[in-house]
Amino acid sequence: MVEETRAAGLTRRAVLTAAVAGGAGMAGVTLASPPNASDDAAELIKHLTGKTPTESDRLHLAMPRVFANGYTVPLTLVIDSPMTEADHVRDVRVLAPRNPLITVATFHFVPQRSEPRVSTRIRLAQPQDVLAVAEMNDGTLLMTRTWVEVATNGCA
Amino acid sequence: MSTPTPRVQVPRTAAKGEIIQIKTLIEHQMETGLRRDSNGEVIPRKIINQFVCRYHDEVVFSVDLNEAVAANPYFEFYLRATTSGRLDFVWKEDGGRVFALRHDLLVG
Repeated sequence: MVEETRAAGLTRRAVLTAAVAGGAGMAGVTLASPPNASDDAAELIKHLTGKTPTESDRLHLAMPRVFANGYTVPLTLVIDSPMTEADHVRDVRVLAPRNPLITVATFHFVPQRSEPRVSTRIRLAQPQDVLAVAEMNDGTLLMTRTWVEVATNGCA
Repeated sequence: MSTPTPRVQVPRTAAKGEIIQIKTLIEHQMETGLRRDSNGEVIPRKIINQFVCRYHDEVVFSVDLNEAVAANPYFEFYLRATTSGRLDFVWKEDGGRVFALRHDLLVG
């Protein structure tokens, strides 16, 4: 019930924001990108790594949308990368911002040796957006997120 | 507490250049350090904090684990088979204990 109410609130807010942005569209460019949840995630990653990530569809973080048991939530991470010396993923960090301890794990890959793909099981304290942040060989950060609803606190 | 037991599932043979799937699991509590016992005392953290896979003595895949990796840490990952040789799997626990397994891969 609570979640439904919150979802309705977000929808209403989104509609209002869109309306305001639309109305102010003629006035200038300051409202071009309204604040959203993405900014919180980007801020957190900047705080942890010192770099600003780019949201990317080269990262795939597959997790169940709803999972009863927060103690052992399956996770699969796949990165689109040729894994050559010139173009590869160095490492991928998985973050659970609403866990008592945010960083879950960091996976390190090696070009021409390992494929940029891994599965594991993690603990989640509450429903949240799980983040994956990949550092590429040129130092750029790519990120993606997946919303996971857990029924029990896996960190208690 | 029982002694952590590691397990791996690796193919015995592979074709040159083939991508092989590896599954690893170690039986381990992964005590987070966030819990208290019945006397209200904090149960100290004891987790597997690192997993490393070497192929021909070269690190080919590794993981830094934190408290939120589930108990009995499980990893499924993929390596490129190049030549016949040894795969080493090493798990490191808080406090310095190390658990290891070895596997010979035949590439032909």
